[in-house]
Amino acid sequence: MTEIKQGDIVLQARGITKRYPGLVANDHIDFEIRAGEIHAILGENGAGKTTLMSILFGLTHPDEGEIYVFGKKVNFRSPLDAIDLGIGMVHQARKLISAHTVLENILLGHPHAGAILDMKKTAEEVKQLCDAYGYKIDLNAKVWHLSEGEKQMVEILKALYRGAKILIMDEPTSALAPPETEKLLETIQLMTKNELAIVPFITHKLPIVLSVSQRVTVLRRGKIVARLNTAEATEQSLAMEMIGREVLFNLKRPDVKIGKPILQVENVSIYDDKDYWAARNISFEVREGEIFGIAGVSGNGQQPLAEALAGLRKASAGRVLFQNEDITRLSSLKRWKKGIGYIPSEQRAVGSIGDFSLVENLLMSYYYDDLFVKWGLIDTKKIRQLAQELIKEYNVATPNPDVRARNLSGGNLQKMILARVFSRKPRLIIANLPTQGLDVGAMEFVQNKLLEEKKAGAGILLISEDLDEIMALSDRIAPMYEGEFMDILPGGSAQRETVGALMAGHKQKAVEV
Amino acid sequence: MWEFWIRSLNASTIFAIAGLGEVVGQRAGVMNVGVEGAMLFGATIGFIVAKTTGSYLLGFLAGIAIGALIGLLHAFFTITLHGDQVVNGMGIWILGFGLTTYIGSPYAGPLGMGRIPTIGGLSPFFFVALVLTFVIWFVLFKTHWGLKIRSVGENPTVAEVSGINVVRTRYWSVIFSGAMMGLAGAVYALDYNPVWSYNLLMGWGFIALALVFFSMWNPYILLSGAVLFGALWQVSLNPESFLPNIFSRYIWRTFPFVITIIILVIMSTHWFSSRWGAAKPEALGLPYEKD
Ligand SMILES: Nc1ncnc2c1ncn2[C@@H]1O[C@H](COP(=O)(O)OP(=O)(O)OP(=O)(O)O)[C@@H](O)[C@H]1O
Ligand SMILES: [Mg+2]
Repeated sequence: MTEIKQGDIVLQARGITKRYPGLVANDHIDFEIRAGEIHAILGENGAGKTTLMSILFGLTHPDEGEIYVFGKKVNFRSPLDAIDLGIGMVHQARKLISAHTVLENILLGHPHAGAILDMKKTAEEVKQLCDAYGYKIDLNAKVWHLSEGEKQMVEILKALYRGAKILIMDEPTSALAPPETEKLLETIQLMTKNELAIVPFITHKLPIVLSVSQRVTVLRRGKIVARLNTAEATEQSLAMEMIGREVLFNLKRPDVKIGKPILQVENVSIYDDKDYWAARNISFEVREGEIFGIAGVSGNGQQPLAEALAGLRKASAGRVLFQNEDITRLSSLKRWKKGIGYIPSEQRAVGSIGDFSLVENLLMSYYYDDLFVKWGLIDTKKIRQLAQELIKEYNVATPNPDVRARNLSGGNLQKMILARVFSRKPRLIIANLPTQGLDVGAMEFVQNKLLEEKKAGAGILLISEDLDEIMALSDRIAPMYEGEFMDILPGGSAQRETVGALMAGHKQKAVEV
Repeated sequence: MWEFWIRSLNASTIFAIAGLGEVVGQRAGVMNVGVEGAMLFGATIGFIVAKTTGSYLLGFLAGIAIGALIGLLHAFFTITLHGDQVVNGMGIWILGFGLTTYIGSPYAGPLGMGRIPTIGGLSPFFFVALVLTFVIWFVLFKTHWGLKIRSVGENPTVAEVSGINVVRTRYWSVIFSGAMMGLAGAVYALDYNPVWSYNLLMGWGFIALALVFFSMWNPYILLSGAVLFGALWQVSLNPESFLPNIFSRYIWRTFPFVITIIILVIMSTHWFSSRWGAAKPEALGLPYEKD
């Protein structure tokens, strides 16, 4: 292979087309990536980004079209073929084996790993890579001990160690804390100096696109609608291209009278699955018409806390009151019936059943409702009609309500789950990462829905990693770190930096600011 | 006492070989609860081949081959057709039980060949089991192969995107696993107790299966467990020589199985899984579907 120079075309796609029943996920896509370039691909939910990426990585076969890598036509049968040609991928959901060590993960499937693994040599070589990018990471640690940011580093190291020349990243910043994001951007820029081509696929966080990429390709409904040099683009213009309408980046917080406490949490402590403390001594209350925001990077106990409040996990100590009634020991079904709505963060594992249709998924919040179930029989017509109405209201991109949930794109599935929960008009909404993976349009939509519920007097517990979201929506903010609330701050006057520092665990810094 | 330990170790050889096979399969994410069935096949076919050809070597090879074939069958149903692993494993047991009774009956009786030489009463297969334990441990934890096997058992999706052929890796693991069970059965019928009779294994396959959970998928612990159960089995056969007149011998006879059940119950508690659960292959029992 000849030496690759800055600006050489390393990957070219021509006429890539992928059809699924009832829709075209990729419609004759042409584009090219050059060495040393950061080429962002933007698109709203369901635009076909993940599909395109899976095709470039050999996970999915296109129906039509050709791919050229370093000028040679290729036909990927599996990811192995793509990896061998120098294509690496950092997935949105981490693709690492948590029970194995960092080194084992990096070595897995490496073509030059001998029959007997030489851990010492690998460690040295990986160490060099780490030094080059300023990563500090314990190579013999088990992956489940690592933070989200560290896991992503491992994925990047794994791709680089296999000699990736083209790095595809799906939503690379979605699970990262602000300092980790900074670090990632730094790394990405450093990598382009080594002639690596980098292709981040991004739905939201437009500022990131603007700050690091040289070129942007925008997808809408499976087609390329714009190819731009980043220098010519603005946040507004990109959003406009993506969803075809203007997006207001300023949410207006409505003036709502905050009422009586609706949820009271008193000294609650929770264990996680491995019997470690997940959350300790948490106390707070959510009042009518109030959005109480818990800000924190995933894995700091928000998830177990949300599950405990939803009745899916036992609180080992403390009390939970809902409308002045002790619900600490109530089952989740009883809690739903009393008016608690829960939006889980794991949309595929907990929020939906992949093999069920959208109608059946909707039924999960209605099977106990006499209006839809009579004498134990489901009124199919009625529920189907409701599904159709909600699909329309929430703008879910799907050919019909009988599509299996697993075939919905991430963003559209999330909309469907929100529709299910909100349509029951809950008094308290526990929203765990409600806008994760949503595009700017959908995100705005969901945030407005939350504000609407607030206006209607519901109390909302909003758990989010997105500092902007927390700052924009919350009446009060609790930064959470290692299972504890670092503080509870008033939403209107809290400083972004203060909250950011607190959720990263820096208590002193908050005092200085 | 010497005699007792020799008999125990000889029995443990069979638990260990079958259990090691199951460990490899389960490490790759495929459970085969039909260990007993695969062993019955190995024992019966091995016995018949040895008896008709007069060759021990051919007998063992036949046992291994039929075991591998059963493994292939299990792999086809659970990996290719996404069948339920437990249901299919039960099927293998029932099939093994019925079919071997049918093919074996005409050959009922002693093997009638010179016994395989022993080392002071200890079967040479005990040493084979020792070597296999080390080799399997080494392969699982020190080689790329083993890493691949463990990875497809922990998280096949991750393995796939790392460029591993999940289906092929699982197939080979399950076939190897079956071959080991077949060998274990052949060792029983050709060496440990060279007589063919109805239901000759008396549930040993299930003990081997339980040992796998007990071992936390570690070959060394598995070997120790096998020795423990080998001894337990001997106690249950001759309780009078240890604790005379306590229970009837028939109650003693149930002991290894009662302990097996107790172990399985403890293993399934929250208490256990929260402490040791990490050792269990995450994707064990789940079919892998590429999307
Ligand atoms: N296996 C499948 N069967 C049927 N339809 C599918 C399948 N996979 C994807 N789709 C559909 O193809 C379209 C594009 O999906 P894709 O996952 O590529 O979108 P995306 O741009 O990644 O969206 P998001 O930002 O929400 O992740 C969606 O409408 C989705 O419902
Ligand atoms: Mg996607």
